[in-house]
Amino acid sequence: MSVRINPNPAPDLLAAIALNRQEQSTALQQISTGRLVNQISDNPAAAAEVTLNHVQGSQDAQYLQNISSLTAQGNTIDSTLSSVVQALTQAISLGTEGANGTLSDANRQAVAQQLTGIRDQVLSLANQTYQGSYVFAGTATSTQPFVLDATQPDGVKYNGNTHVNSVTISQGNTIPVNVSGSQIFTNPAGDVLGSLNGLITALQTNTGLPAANTNLQQAFTQFTNQRVFYGNTLQRLQSTQTYLNSDKLQLAQQENSLVGVDLSSSITNLERSSTATSAILSATGQILSTLNLLNYLK
Amino acid sequence: MGGLFGSLGIALGALAADQGAVAVTSNNIANVNTAGYSREQVNLSENVPVQIGNLLFGTGVTLGQTTSIRDNLLERRLDQENQAAGQLNAFLGPLNQVQALFNEAAGTGLQTPLTAFFNSLTHLSTNPSDAASRQGVITAGQNLATAFQQDSSNLQALQSNTDVAVQQSVNQVNQLTQQIATLNIQISGQEGVGLDPGAALDQRTQLVRQLSGLIGISEADAGNGSLTITTTNGSSLVVAGQSFALSTQVNSNTTYHDVYSQGTDITSTINGGALGGEIQVRDKEIPSILNKLDTFAYNLAASVNTQSKAGFDANGNAGVNFFAQPTAVTGAASSIGVAITDPNLVAASSDGSVGSNGNAQALANLQNQTIINGQTPANYYSGLIYQIGNDVSQAQSEQTAVGLVQQQLNDQRGAVSGVSLDEEAVNLIRYQAAYQASANVINVINKLLATTLNMTT
Repeated sequence: MSVRINPNPAPDLLAAIALNRQEQSTALQQISTGRLVNQISDNPAAAAEVTLNHVQGSQDAQYLQNISSLTAQGNTIDSTLSSVVQALTQAISLGTEGANGTLSDANRQAVAQQLTGIRDQVLSLANQTYQGSYVFAGTATSTQPFVLDATQPDGVKYNGNTHVNSVTISQGNTIPVNVSGSQIFTNPAGDVLGSLNGLITALQTNTGLPAANTNLQQAFTQFTNQRVFYGNTLQRLQSTQTYLNSDKLQLAQQENSLVGVDLSSSITNLERSSTATSAILSATGQILSTLNLLNYLK
Repeated sequence: MGGLFGSLGIALGALAADQGAVAVTSNNIANVNTAGYSREQVNLSENVPVQIGNLLFGTGVTLGQTTSIRDNLLERRLDQENQAAGQLNAFLGPLNQVQALFNEAAGTGLQTPLTAFFNSLTHLSTNPSDAASRQGVITAGQNLATAFQQDSSNLQALQSNTDVAVQQSVNQVNQLTQQIATLNIQISGQEGVGLDPGAALDQRTQLVRQLSGLIGISEADAGNGSLTITTTNGSSLVVAGQSFALSTQVNSNTTYHDVYSQGTDITSTINGGALGGEIQVRDKEIPSILNKLDTFAYNLAASVNTQSKAGFDANGNAGVNFFAQPTAVTGAASSIGVAITDPNLVAASSDGSVGSNGNAQALANLQNQTIINGQTPANYYSGLIYQIGNDVSQAQSEQTAVGLVQQQLNDQRGAVSGVSLDEEAVNLIRYQAAYQASANVINVINKLLATTLNMTT
């Protein structure tokens, strides 16, 4: 006796059709989204990895934005300091001129007058603001940092503080972004505003001019040293920006390798499942419409 | 017997038997597409011969009880697989909705608001006195809190929906067990008087199949055709002609319905079937995800608040809680919110001056610290994503495997019990031929009788 087989193939045929349709739909979804993982259950480990990848990508984007605003701020400060350099160079030259013993009192007074103008310009630059905040006030950015004050030994009072802000510009990379105003403009090792005031007084009183000029020279050197900080900061910002852009690219590549689709293989899958669907549909039609013995009974 | 009248009787009996056989075949053909129908087999038996003199004469054929062809072991295996399939279907339905809430593969979930919150703090650190950046932190904090709340509320809604499904499943179980008990009586009665209870058996098999899709069951043959059914942990559902209804009762702690059998809470022991899957989702899976979400929200709020209070606001005052600190881990995700509305209250400063960013930096750095159960927020969250994805993926694989086993068992069942039209056609031809032959025998005997009668005239 022959082995009896299931006389009703319909459920198996329907299951085969459903399976092929499912494969077709998966391949189509992969092609249309460009992603192999469209649900976290498609590949839980890759989905978890890609979550971390997105976190890092989003952080990088924020760091790049931070770098952009810090660079704008740094450029403003650098240009301010550049103006101070020009003013100080002019002041040094005027100091040398004023120290010339052949100069009349009136001329010395005139030089002192010119130097007062330069001092006021430097004072104004030292009180520079960026987006409403004083940039040379340490972290006391809402207080005007420098005011002339005759009661102070150097004639200037610093109202800011010496605190420094640090900003994270990439994962694990935090840099200081400011130097306190007192360190730049009223540094005991070279007091820019104090030496300008000293030179003005020396010219007005015609006493101690060589010492006053030496002080201004020292202050200039000290100032130039402090200015290097901002130049270095701008350089670090730029190199980190380059790194972040390449990291972004790497993250995109990593995401692609985690969840991206291999188009050629998905298209092949689509072709294969479409062919298989056509075949199973044709087979189903043929099998289910096959005549049975009852059709031949007369 | 012997003699023409004896032969006439044999032919008449054969006509009746063949008519019955055609009726069985006709019934098989009629039920070719009836779900759960088991083909019936004609049982023709030879009548007891009679001895006349020293000769034995046959006395024809009798149509015996038809037999339903079924393999009870196969039916039980199908019930077992149906339990697994029912559980997986009921589990995957809500779980697919859960994974849609956290589908980071498509950018849906907590990652975006979470990273945006920390990014807003990083941004604030570049210009701590900027009012817009301060407002940005509050807005990002609110967005994050809202995302926590929405996820929590969606999960709870799913839990409530599943609770409704539990009650519906219990009602369906009770209807089915009642019907099965009635059929038990019917089958025992028919078997008792020697009848084949094929149709009733088919009906009961179908109902048991439905029942196994709803709850994990154990079946035992009670011996008189009736079936004893218990839950997999042994709680009676059907014993002979009696069904034992399950009931539901609200659990005051969870506010969801527990399932009782004759006064005993059997909720945690129910395994298999839709009810098993629903209870698994409602009482284990969603609570586990909710707990992780609550732990996340609670610890995040606590860490941000502690750091916030370590700093100073824009007015130079000591920092205050940024998030409204949830009172306990349970429910933290649904109750988290931003405690401040004034941007000046964001504690960005570490020295009391408005331009200090030290505390904003420290707050932003929390994203790299192991503040959530020994993990960074991103790592903790990606662990949750993996858990959800993995649970769904595993259930899907099991569902596919169970589906294949079911398909194979159904094929085997079809091979045993399914109606083959070819087979029925062959039988029909055989019974038709036999019927025609017996009719011809009657014709011949009729002629012979006429011949015999004519001999007298």
